[in-house]
Amino acid sequence: MTLSRRDILKIGGAAAALPLLGGTAFAQEKLKVGFIYVGTINDNGYNYGHNQGRIFLQDALGDAVETTYVENVPEGPDCERVLRELAQQGNKLIFATSFGFGDAVIKVAAEFPDVKFEHATGYMKADNVGLYNARFYEGRAVCGTIAGHLSKTGKAAYIGSFPIPEVVMGINALALSGRRINPAFTVKPVYISTWNDPAKEGDAARALIDQGVDIIAQHTDGPAALQVAQERGIVGGFGQGADMSAFAPEAQLTAIIDHWGPHYVNSAKAVIAGTWTAGDTWEGLKEEVVQMGAYNKKIPADVVADAEKIRTGQIDGSFKIFTGPIKDNTGAERVAAGVAMTDAELLSMDWYVEGVGQPV
Amino acid sequence: MEMLIPIIVTLVGAATPILIAALGELVAEKSGVLNLGVEGMMLVGAIAGFVAQFYTGNPYLALLCGAFAGAAVSLIFAFLTLSLSANQTATGLALTIFGTGLSALAGAPYSAKPIALMAPLFPDMLARDPFWRVLFGYSFPVYFSFFMVAAIWWFLKRTRTGLILRAVGENDHSAHSIGYSVVGVRYAAVVFGGAMAGIAGACFPLLLTPQWAESMTAGRGWIAVALVVFASWRPLRLLAGAYLFGLVMTMELYAKAGGGVLAIIPSELWAALPYLATIAVLVLISLRRDASTNAPACLGKPFMPAN
Amino acid sequence: MQFRLEKRAEPSRFMLYATPVGAVILTMIVGAIIFSLIGYDGIGAVREVFLTPLTNAYKWQDLGIKAAPLIIIGTGLSIAYRANVWNIGAEGQFVVGALAGTWVALATYTMSGPWILPLMILAGVVGGALYAAIPALLKTRLNVNEILTSLMLTYASIQLIYYLIRTVWKDPMGIGFPQTRRFAASAQLPTVIPHTIVHLGVPIAIVVALVAWFIMSRSVFGYRMRVVGAAPHAARYGGFSENKTIWLAMLVSGGLAGLAGVLEVAGPFQRMVPGFATGYGFTAIIVAFLGRLNPLGVIFAGIVLAITFVGGEVAQTTIKLPDAATGIFQAMVLFFLLAGDILVRYRIRRVVTTPAGAA
Repeated sequence: MTLSRRDILKIGGAAAALPLLGGTAFAQEKLKVGFIYVGTINDNGYNYGHNQGRIFLQDALGDAVETTYVENVPEGPDCERVLRELAQQGNKLIFATSFGFGDAVIKVAAEFPDVKFEHATGYMKADNVGLYNARFYEGRAVCGTIAGHLSKTGKAAYIGSFPIPEVVMGINALALSGRRINPAFTVKPVYISTWNDPAKEGDAARALIDQGVDIIAQHTDGPAALQVAQERGIVGGFGQGADMSAFAPEAQLTAIIDHWGPHYVNSAKAVIAGTWTAGDTWEGLKEEVVQMGAYNKKIPADVVADAEKIRTGQIDGSFKIFTGPIKDNTGAERVAAGVAMTDAELLSMDWYVEGVGQPV
Repeated sequence: MEMLIPIIVTLVGAATPILIAALGELVAEKSGVLNLGVEGMMLVGAIAGFVAQFYTGNPYLALLCGAFAGAAVSLIFAFLTLSLSANQTATGLALTIFGTGLSALAGAPYSAKPIALMAPLFPDMLARDPFWRVLFGYSFPVYFSFFMVAAIWWFLKRTRTGLILRAVGENDHSAHSIGYSVVGVRYAAVVFGGAMAGIAGACFPLLLTPQWAESMTAGRGWIAVALVVFASWRPLRLLAGAYLFGLVMTMELYAKAGGGVLAIIPSELWAALPYLATIAVLVLISLRRDASTNAPACLGKPFMPAN
Repeated sequence: MQFRLEKRAEPSRFMLYATPVGAVILTMIVGAIIFSLIGYDGIGAVREVFLTPLTNAYKWQDLGIKAAPLIIIGTGLSIAYRANVWNIGAEGQFVVGALAGTWVALATYTMSGPWILPLMILAGVVGGALYAAIPALLKTRLNVNEILTSLMLTYASIQLIYYLIRTVWKDPMGIGFPQTRRFAASAQLPTVIPHTIVHLGVPIAIVVALVAWFIMSRSVFGYRMRVVGAAPHAARYGGFSENKTIWLAMLVSGGLAGLAGVLEVAGPFQRMVPGFATGYGFTAIIVAFLGRLNPLGVIFAGIVLAITFVGGEVAQTTIKLPDAATGIFQAMVLFFLLAGDILVRYRIRRVVTTPAGAA
């Protein structure tokens, strides 16, 4: 692999950590940082992404931190136990990386006031519980731009597990950005009621392609749908969570890469320096928590330029995908012209924009 | 008609692994052994097949490795239930837990690695033809599954060995008293079942999604077990049953993708449908008069010759 | 020299109790060897998985709340299995029991009072029993195999959770996530030991097992279940109806699974979430067997399995043992136990052959 932005960041992070080491490392023990994942670190998707973030943190801060993780932690009491275990083992900063860990984080955080917790994608805060999330939908807007240009049938599909707000936001961002390019562009959402059944994901992709869909986006943990896109030779799809081009070199147009590393480094540094406070961050392309994978070589230059415009526009703040006028899929206007949806509105989004088929 | 061909092609892909695993389980059950470890054996076969394909790129070798791996773990089951006459239900469940864990452990280094799909058996001229692919567009395991339906039917109905196998399953003590090795026959049947489950598991990375994912068979081993009862232990009915199940699973996705009348069924009901359909069919089968008589009489019962 | 199996006149009581302990010890030894061979710290793995949860007093509360549902479900299953009724769908009955309890909790959300919790528990037991009544009905009326129906219903029950929490029961404050609102205080299971997480379900589990033991060993009901399981023909001769026994076995095991479910949702969860079903109903099958289908043994077995779960997590953090190892250890315990079963009914005799054969 050539030197990527990721590596440069890594080196930068390590250099930034040096002064800290000089100042406090001798007086202080290593900061122990714990992570809990809802699935396996080998899912090539969401949990893989968080674990890459952990490795990034370990590499960046080196001897200043010691990281530990527990995978396949069920949401509920089991998670509570694991959190307690990590706190008891001396982890002073704990990242709970799934929405369903929320209740347990709040409960355990009350028992360990000197331990800092950060909960990904949640909504319940406390003095020692911070929240962090990523604006994945910004990446979807880039994908939608490419899809709007490249789709010949004007029909895209979105395979999701369950209709949670993050997935709904992703579907809507894809549709809105695609329709900016091609007003006839539509998105068909299909929910398969499982996070981990690659064969079913694959069959869903097959069914969709047979119905004339030539762009497939998926929001499940794994590359199964992209592999089918590759096998069938349709226009393509998008990697989710991680770069999946190894699985579908022709079909992956680009990928939305979860890059939690910088956030983890910042939080760990803040804890070491004693400046950590319970934050509520929702970072995206700008902070590089969401990154785009390389554009596929088959995408024409003008399309890449357009996609880049959306990407950079979201970085400098000049472009916001959820800006009115936005109609929902019944034709009613939901957002007035020129008004941008607030974060709170986005985080509880449960309706679909015009051009999205209504799933049951 | 134009829509029918793609649906059939997807349906065949969904039905084939279930059919292969169920055929193996049918033979084991005919000999009187109920092995509930199919899901675990499939997963072990899946990872073995994946690894073989990853290193050699030879899908036939990969299927063979899947068969060997499935057979190897089925030996644990055979030893416990046949040599030590342990409870078959519990041992089968333990085998599923074991296979799930073992495959996850063995598969961890291979998660981010793709492999090549198995190519169709027939030349592209036929396999890629928009119409003829409905017959010729599949890779080897699909044709293998059809062949095995016929072969197992013939074996059980027409051969002496098949007769012995059935005798062992129907009345182990008489089979023993006329000099057949009950335990030996059952060992062979269980290992055959394991090998078939292993091949079925290997179909997942080779035919459906060319990757390794933990628990990627996602409960289809259980459907295979149910299918055997569904088919009242008859290979031809097993074929029909596997395709009916494949159809239920495939229709869900086509209905959601295409809209129409069926699309009003909630996603969760669709997901539960294969299981509810199993129950419905078990009920229908049981309403037939000959239903109870067709189960092997010694199914699930340990055999210990009185010495 | 050769060994030969010889049937005991009567099952060995010593072996009956010694083999589960032997199975655990053998798992530790063989597990240490196997995990060392494949490149992990095998001895460390066994230490962390099997011993740390016991030696660290802080972990005992975790063992208690993890073991409680296993013991309750395992007790019910051991009664059913004694009667040769193979309910392997306890997970589904656990789920439906919890859903029934959730229904009461949500319906009484704006109310309070000490009657809510008992009503929830009642609903849970009834819910679990009703869900188990489906396989019972199919088995007794149509002779449909209960193993398959109860298992298939488990998969359906999990989809039922998804459906309910996505539609009618969705938390209005949950920013669109599919889960119910948090139960009101009167619908939450209280803790019984201050400053711990040990909730009322833990003593209930012990009481359930003790009562079940008493009934199974001292009452006509228990006698009947055991007789039907051990000798169905004799039972029929003795006037015990096989169908009645199937009904009883399914309703008791389903009701107890439902009880475990409602205690779990009212205790540790306090709301219904998509990840509610984590496999207690399946693990309880191992518990029932490891406990020798005896409610007292089930208490022991429930704790052993709880240890492997809690210890498996410890081992992930301390020696980086992958999560999959927990399943392998659990399967090994069951394999060794089942292998050891033969020693209960048979004794191993050494057969000395003639020296000529050896030379």
